[in-house]
Amino acid sequence: MSISRNSRRDFLRNMGCLACGGTAAALLPQLHMMGTALANTSAATGYKALVCVYLYGGNDAWNMLVPFDTARYNTYATSRSGVYNATTNPGGLALPLPAASAKIIDGNDPSSATNQYFLHPAMPEMTTLFNQGHLAFVVNAGSLVKPITMSDYTANSANYPAQLFSHADQTNQWQQAFAQQGVTLGWGGQCGDVLKPGNTNAQLSPCISIAGANRFQVGISTIPYQMSSGGLTNLSAMCNPTPCNGVSSTSVRDNALNAMLQETYTNDFAGGYSAIFQRGRDLNNLLSAGLAGTTLSTTFPTGNSLAAQLQTVAKMIKLSVAQNYATRQIYFVTMGSFDLHSGMMSGTNDHAALLTTLSQALNAFWTSMGPSDVNAQNNVTVFTMSEFARTLQSNGSGSDHGWGTVQMALGGGVHGGKLYSNGGGPISGFPNQALNAPNNFSRGQMIPGIGVEQYAATLAQWMGISVSQCNTIFPNLTKFGANNLGFV
Amino acid sequence: MRAGFGILGFALVFGFVPWAGATVHDQLFKGSFDIPADQPASVNAAARFLTQATFGPTQADINYLMAQGYGEWIDEQLAKPATLGEPTVEAVVNARTAGGQKVNNTQRLNRWFWQAVYAPDQLRQRMAYALSQIFVVSDQSSSISQYVVPLTQYGDMLAQAAFLPYGQVLLNVTYHPMMGRYLNAYHNVKATFVGSVQTTSPDENYAREVMQLFSIGLIMRHPDFSPVLTNPLDPESTIPTYDQGVITQNAKVFTGFTWSDAPQGSGPPNYSGASFYGGGLTFAAQYAPMACWGTELFPATGTGSGNMRHDITTKAVLGYGGVGTTNTIPANQTCAQDVTDELSIIATHPNVAPFISRQLIQRFVTSNPSPAYIARISAVFNTAGNDLGDVVKAILIDTEARNPPALPATTGSCSTGNCDAYGKLREPVLSLTAMWRAFNAKAPAPDQYGEIAMIGYGGFLGNFGQAPYESPTVFNFYLPDYQQPGVFADSNLYSPELQITNESTSYTTSNTYYQFTANAYQGMTNPRTDRPLIDLSSLTVNSNNPAAMVGTLNTALFCGSMSTTMQATMKSMLVNLNGASAQEKAWSAIYVAMLSPEFATQR
Repeated sequence: MSISRNSRRDFLRNMGCLACGGTAAALLPQLHMMGTALANTSAATGYKALVCVYLYGGNDAWNMLVPFDTARYNTYATSRSGVYNATTNPGGLALPLPAASAKIIDGNDPSSATNQYFLHPAMPEMTTLFNQGHLAFVVNAGSLVKPITMSDYTANSANYPAQLFSHADQTNQWQQAFAQQGVTLGWGGQCGDVLKPGNTNAQLSPCISIAGANRFQVGISTIPYQMSSGGLTNLSAMCNPTPCNGVSSTSVRDNALNAMLQETYTNDFAGGYSAIFQRGRDLNNLLSAGLAGTTLSTTFPTGNSLAAQLQTVAKMIKLSVAQNYATRQIYFVTMGSFDLHSGMMSGTNDHAALLTTLSQALNAFWTSMGPSDVNAQNNVTVFTMSEFARTLQSNGSGSDHGWGTVQMALGGGVHGGKLYSNGGGPISGFPNQALNAPNNFSRGQMIPGIGVEQYAATLAQWMGISVSQCNTIFPNLTKFGANNLGFV
Repeated sequence: MRAGFGILGFALVFGFVPWAGATVHDQLFKGSFDIPADQPASVNAAARFLTQATFGPTQADINYLMAQGYGEWIDEQLAKPATLGEPTVEAVVNARTAGGQKVNNTQRLNRWFWQAVYAPDQLRQRMAYALSQIFVVSDQSSSISQYVVPLTQYGDMLAQAAFLPYGQVLLNVTYHPMMGRYLNAYHNVKATFVGSVQTTSPDENYAREVMQLFSIGLIMRHPDFSPVLTNPLDPESTIPTYDQGVITQNAKVFTGFTWSDAPQGSGPPNYSGASFYGGGLTFAAQYAPMACWGTELFPATGTGSGNMRHDITTKAVLGYGGVGTTNTIPANQTCAQDVTDELSIIATHPNVAPFISRQLIQRFVTSNPSPAYIARISAVFNTAGNDLGDVVKAILIDTEARNPPALPATTGSCSTGNCDAYGKLREPVLSLTAMWRAFNAKAPAPDQYGEIAMIGYGGFLGNFGQAPYESPTVFNFYLPDYQQPGVFADSNLYSPELQITNESTSYTTSNTYYQFTANAYQGMTNPRTDRPLIDLSSLTVNSNNPAAMVGTLNTALFCGSMSTTMQATMKSMLVNLNGASAQEKAWSAIYVAMLSPEFATQR
């Protein structure tokens, strides 16, 4: 079947279903067919999960992964307004060249002239995981409508996505893996649409957010289940789980609340609210006791919001496998504060502090997936998304919005120790970081060489989604050279 | 080409002279024996209006509104001076500091909630809160999290400017050091060079968000907010308002800002002692409009201490015809002239009226205003001499605000006209204040530092997904264009507040309501001293009459709109609570009502 994937609305319209009632229940038969139609013919075997770590604000990725060889390092340092020094060059954004022991080698590149890099010194854990072959970098990825060069960019605005450099729009384009306006679906949610018929428990969404609402996990029939990193709380003065027997005041109140939540509301705000609340009650009933009884032996860093979120993910993975709730899950966690227009190189919340938080949280999660704990390292792939990298050139104490960026993928299935920078388009390789180099702008904003959909489709295929299904989920994928970057 | 409208005239409107008031709102009082022509049709209609226009109806306000009529009530509110938070918070902060106590945003939030519940200038405070969700600054940013007093004053600034012309609000916001620090105009400097090589460029943060979020948005709009299309048949054929080139140029305008008390040195020729990075030494200096180190203070060629940080090169900034069109700000102007020019260019853009009007309607009345409603408000917005007071009045007295469509008989698809997306989900913050005001919450006495505790059960941002001046990002707690998956997204309808409503926050929000009802009423054993105590007597007086209790609840919290189904459910609950105390029946009624889908909705 062929469907427009602009929105669930378009899908419903195509299904001739807009007039057949707005409730999810009324749509379920059709949506189930949709899932079946797209489902992988080979049954999903074993458990797999994707964990999206979204870095809100635009991670300055060109200070996360830096060339080590002299020629390219010097170019980098010059474009970043020189090496930062609190007294002699407070506006500089370049990191100092570290000792050779910090050097990493891109296993995809045999040339020593171009395969030497180092990671931000705040990320020693990631350096180790890269060297162990568990971590890969996807280089110069960004939202594109098709592969382009600078001449394409200047020739016609239809050659590049709308609203470049805007946080909200570029975030949407990463979460949609489709650089088009007017879209409401995310690629994780659409993967969930395809994968969820294979999950045993239909109550628990295949998409679980520990970080609130997001577009990434919204599918045609998939709505993310939103949890708190603190786990599940009881509802005050009500039955937990609900209902409870007897004539206690608690039971009486609980019955009244449930009666109101189960009512039909003609106002959509009331209906939307009651549906969410009811789902919350159902899933609390399902998960609360089990999650409270699920423990990890790994110690997660404290005072680290991302680590707290990933700890809950680790518990949910352990519980989901133990209870056989699901064979495919897609999690969403976030970190903010990457929009470092100022204070990038100094202060308590500078880029180094953020990357320390990120690296320690990812490392703890990786450890928790190890054989002595959850034992799912080969079943889980963690990956980052962030709306853009930033200008190489300083604005005096930070950097501004850019375009092409670097993302990380971590997991036992990841073909790590390598950089993936070739999507088969006209721009490939680690970019030339000279300002105004052929495919970057005056402040070092890079035209991406890899489209978001190529990155996303690679991850989707690891989950068992076929290439033809990817071509539905990612409508522009066929315009790019490679539909799989091979990093996992 | 230089913008061809009255920049000079506009500049006169701007500036920091006390606002004289271009519009004199009608303050004639009627005799109490007159029945106003626009008297609310019923007490419930009055309560409904006050739900939109205030932090929640009280019996006293309902009576007063019935006597005044809508127009008089609004005009009187427009004329009320702003209740300020800064003097109180500064005194509390000073007392706590002297007493060796920690200071944090609890002090600010306690005062904010006190004002929300008790300030007489309800419409002004409500408008300031609405504006705070457009001109966002937040203590979640480490750059201002420690600035408790000046952040409080930012709220005062919005309250004082709430009914001024939009351009004046934009100017005050731009110069406020909390906005400066939040979006980096503060300490933003002109490009620097090593030899002839440019090594840094001005920070683009404020230059971008002032247009994307505070004024015009990303695409060209008609006065009814519909997008301008190059091809009427193609909804994707929108016209961007600007491109990255305009941002880079605009960034040059917002350079040279620092604390008002940063030492400006001894004057020519050496300006010794000037310190761009100094200052900010007092609370007053931390909220006074920022100084701008342009040619008004330093020579254009100054170096060292006399370095003039503002960029005085020519600037090709926002045009009125969308991307590709520009206005030009000439070279060699003072910083103040550049900023005034730029903000007047932005404020004159045709997008401003629909962009701002729509968001204000969303905050007060409905998430999905009709295009005609937005167009009517845009017309008021754009009428010469009008200000935001006229705009909010027009929003509230508009027929679409006052006359809600009838609820459809059955639920169904919006494509058949059988759905209802009128109104909005209540913000949790406003649900709490409405409950407090409906049940005459009594605040604790000030503590030894002069602080009145309101939020003993804190963590609103985590529990509600929102708290005043605590947005996670400059994009507010929710987007004006958020579409909840399901009927809203399917029908291309908007539901901003649903963005912070999920399985987790539905529990944590409810538990917060529990703490302020079941755990905070007058007459309880060991009453809490860290939060207001509500008065249950209007319910307990009828503790053996469930129907009467439901009637009280219906009037106090639901503007009389509680469905018969819900009335039956609530009555049944109260009947079955026959073993509970009168007080438990009362708080149970309020608590369960607050969790109901009908209370969660403002219609």
